[in-house]
Amino acid sequence: MPAPRTYWISSRPTGRWDKGGDNVDKEVAIIAYAQTKYEADANASRELQVLEVTVAALKAAGLKREDLDTIITANNDYLDGRTISNMRLVEPSGAWRKNESKVEMDGAFAMLYAVTRILSGDHDIALVVAESQASVYGTYLPGIMMLDPTFDRQRWLLNEVSAAALQASSYMDAAGVSVEQIAGVAAKNLENAALNPVALRSLKGADAKKVLASRPLCSPITELMASPLCDGACALVLASAKAAAKAEKPVWVKGVGFSHDSYLTERGSLDNMGSLKLAAEACYKQAGIDDPASQIELAELHECFAHEELMAYEALGFCDPMQGGAFFDSGATKKGGELPVNTSGGALGANVACAAGLTRVIEAAMQIRGDAGKHQVKGVKTALAHGQTGLCAQENIVYVLGGE
Amino acid sequence: MGAKAGKDPVPRASIPLNPVFNWSVGNWMEYFYDSLKEGKIMGSKCPACGRVSLPPRMICERCFVKVEDWVELPATGTVQACTTASVKVAENGDLVDLEAPEVIAMVKHDGADTCIAARLESKDASVGMRVEAVIDAGAANVLDLLAAYRPLG
Amino acid sequence: MAKNEVAVAGVGLSKHVSKRRDVNIAELVWEAVNACYEDAGIKPKDVDAFATGNMPAFEGVNMPEEWGAGHWGAYNKPVLRITTGGTTGGSVAHGGYYLVGSGLYDMVMCIAFEKQSDGNSTMGLNTVALADAAAQLQLGVDPSFIAAFGGGAVGVAVYQASSYMKSSGCTTNHLDKVAALCRNNAALNPYSHLKQPGLTPEEVAKTTLLQYPIRFGHVCPATDGACAMLFTTGEKARKLTDKPAYVLSCASASDEAALVGIAGSGTTNVDPCEQESCKIAAARAYEIAGIKDPRKEIDLAEPYAPFAHQLLMFYERLLLCNEGEAPSILDSGSMNLEGELPVCPSGGVISTNAIGASAMERVAECALQIMGKCGERQVKKEVHKAVAHGWGGAVNLNVVAVLSDEPRR
Repeated sequence: MPAPRTYWISSRPTGRWDKGGDNVDKEVAIIAYAQTKYEADANASRELQVLEVTVAALKAAGLKREDLDTIITANNDYLDGRTISNMRLVEPSGAWRKNESKVEMDGAFAMLYAVTRILSGDHDIALVVAESQASVYGTYLPGIMMLDPTFDRQRWLLNEVSAAALQASSYMDAAGVSVEQIAGVAAKNLENAALNPVALRSLKGADAKKVLASRPLCSPITELMASPLCDGACALVLASAKAAAKAEKPVWVKGVGFSHDSYLTERGSLDNMGSLKLAAEACYKQAGIDDPASQIELAELHECFAHEELMAYEALGFCDPMQGGAFFDSGATKKGGELPVNTSGGALGANVACAAGLTRVIEAAMQIRGDAGKHQVKGVKTALAHGQTGLCAQENIVYVLGGE
Repeated sequence: MGAKAGKDPVPRASIPLNPVFNWSVGNWMEYFYDSLKEGKIMGSKCPACGRVSLPPRMICERCFVKVEDWVELPATGTVQACTTASVKVAENGDLVDLEAPEVIAMVKHDGADTCIAARLESKDASVGMRVEAVIDAGAANVLDLLAAYRPLG
Repeated sequence: MAKNEVAVAGVGLSKHVSKRRDVNIAELVWEAVNACYEDAGIKPKDVDAFATGNMPAFEGVNMPEEWGAGHWGAYNKPVLRITTGGTTGGSVAHGGYYLVGSGLYDMVMCIAFEKQSDGNSTMGLNTVALADAAAQLQLGVDPSFIAAFGGGAVGVAVYQASSYMKSSGCTTNHLDKVAALCRNNAALNPYSHLKQPGLTPEEVAKTTLLQYPIRFGHVCPATDGACAMLFTTGEKARKLTDKPAYVLSCASASDEAALVGIAGSGTTNVDPCEQESCKIAAARAYEIAGIKDPRKEIDLAEPYAPFAHQLLMFYERLLLCNEGEAPSILDSGSMNLEGELPVCPSGGVISTNAIGASAMERVAECALQIMGKCGERQVKKEVHKAVAHGWGGAVNLNVVAVLSDEPRR
């Protein structure tokens, strides 16, 4: 019989962090990231898109594949059209023979899992990669597949768009928000997207009228108020405090919180984003934020539909409940405002399912590092990033990131 | 990467897969459907908090208790949210234009605490509108028992 | 080493049978989750986060927790979905380890399940082959052949078993003995699916030959079932239960390689019985757990073995003996409930296979054995350290966890 082989796995010295469990400040940092251009049809396999961002992120981090301790990918069997969708992403994500796992939600949640892997002390460097390709899957079918199979699913009434429209209707009625205000959000983001080289859709010269005149989907939602589902991938590299010490301009995770709302027909009301509020509360507690409107300098919100951004302002405490429309009208969330929101164009500029939330984290990190090129906002030290998954924003996650 | 001028289109393979699923609905939904066959709308009522779920649920999600009480609910209810759909999702997943717009609503039956998604037979709809369910007790498919909703009065 | 001690303070299992037509998916899972809350003596309000997973192909529902989590006590709580195919249950358990070990979430309810009867198991397993379907279609392989051949069904296992038998000297008689051992253990487990008390290797040898060397008696069933585990800090676990099962380490290694690969560099010319990633994952897990000699220090093993040969193969790949020694160790009786290193006292995956739950049920059994809660199937020896394993992907995803009756110092 062959002699037993012993495996020596080079273990990094994993010190015990003595900080209390509630405080994540300066324990995990984003040290690099990469995005593909977001396209209606990337004309490339998802493996190649994942490879592209993995190689680019490692290069930006000054790291090699060998340096990765753990990889978490975000992808979905129904979007990718294959069972165990992470299986064949092992190679292009640099995960061959490494501690790899998959979160079947937006990449912003996969990042949370990677954060816990680093905070545990077992891993120092994590790669998070998210992808999907709308050119491959039946665009609005996976949303229908999330419905209750014993009732809603086959009645063919609810889908991502009609569900969002129902939420918009409920919110507009409760908050007195107008369709013009919602169109204004879309126009803002689409104009911002014109300065983002990777965005898919943009509209030069903020024109709410053009948004209102676009193809009607489910009232009040018109095509330009709905994010374009498309192809793409993005990745970011996380490092423990020790590993980040060598990095240039690490962006620290100051706090993170996530939560889950009830099934859409069972919520008390659709007129507010309950789980986003809970997520923000948990995040703010860790990050020491008690006055978000003044302490957050920039926000990247995952708005699958334009009205969601107005609802998010309220849930995040940027303004009082039911005041999202007024807050938007104040101009605070425009590019030059006190709290610019979605200077990247947001999901309205490009929505890669499973990646759009992680993209928001990347965009927020870019702002802090001064990496955002034409859509850079000056002097951002503290930024908020939001990701969501599910119908009517059922799952929400919030990060506060800081440059110091 | 990405579509470039002069770059050949990446070959695509389309794999025809038609899996058939048979989801057990469970005893609570079975009772709901059986009751509709008798023209009755049954909601489940939590013994702890009194919250009435329609469609019914075995577990009250707020109290985490098993719900074994039932309430017969009237066909009438109030629109909590509504939308006029100009598109529907086609079998291939795309949004295709509807020949005629459809009104979809979330309706809260009188006495219920959850909403039920509804097709509203009405050109106009507004939040707060009063509506009533139309039951087709003889429908062959249980999903068609709760056929539609129409404005009240 | 996890920043915080991580321990299991409760386990819940549903009944595992082939068809639960009386409950929908959410209600089936409730049975296990409710049992776990009761076992741990806690309520949903005490839980800080949930981790859940299943294998989507079998139920045909996208993210079933969106509809179902209200049934599991997750109202207004954080929910994380982790799905990795056959290793899902193990991956979800690893998620619990990290969520608690990070210090961010003290009490995490981990839930893994499968309701295979709602779908078509063969179809579900065949979709594993879709990973390579595009490449195969390009090579001119007929789509119906791809569907029939399957990715996770008997096809792969047959090559793996034949190769393992050749390299290890394992015989078909050993396969029969493994099946008998497991099904007898399962008979003592109220939550198992196939209970066959008194089953003999000779009876197994008479079952229908599917594809040499695999007989019907060597193969797992398709099961509806769910498993829930409460992961928490060492401190809280000690308040909840007299004997928590500490999770010393979790490790995994993903060795899946594409048939064709990037630019045709395909690396699937790998013997499916090698399972290098299992050895790597095990070595990592032992190292983090501070285990220097697993053969001596591990008291009990729950390898993931839907096919009989895999129990022996993974026993070796988990570094519990030299390669090729497992068949003789089986012969010696060491793997029995009363043996020196009992294997699959639960009955194993070969007796119960609700795919999404199976890899978590390996962790659950290790925890229950350490906690002394296994009743009739409690092993004779005192269990100090146990290793739980999960296998999946097409061939090469492996996850390993090491549990102990003591926290790491």
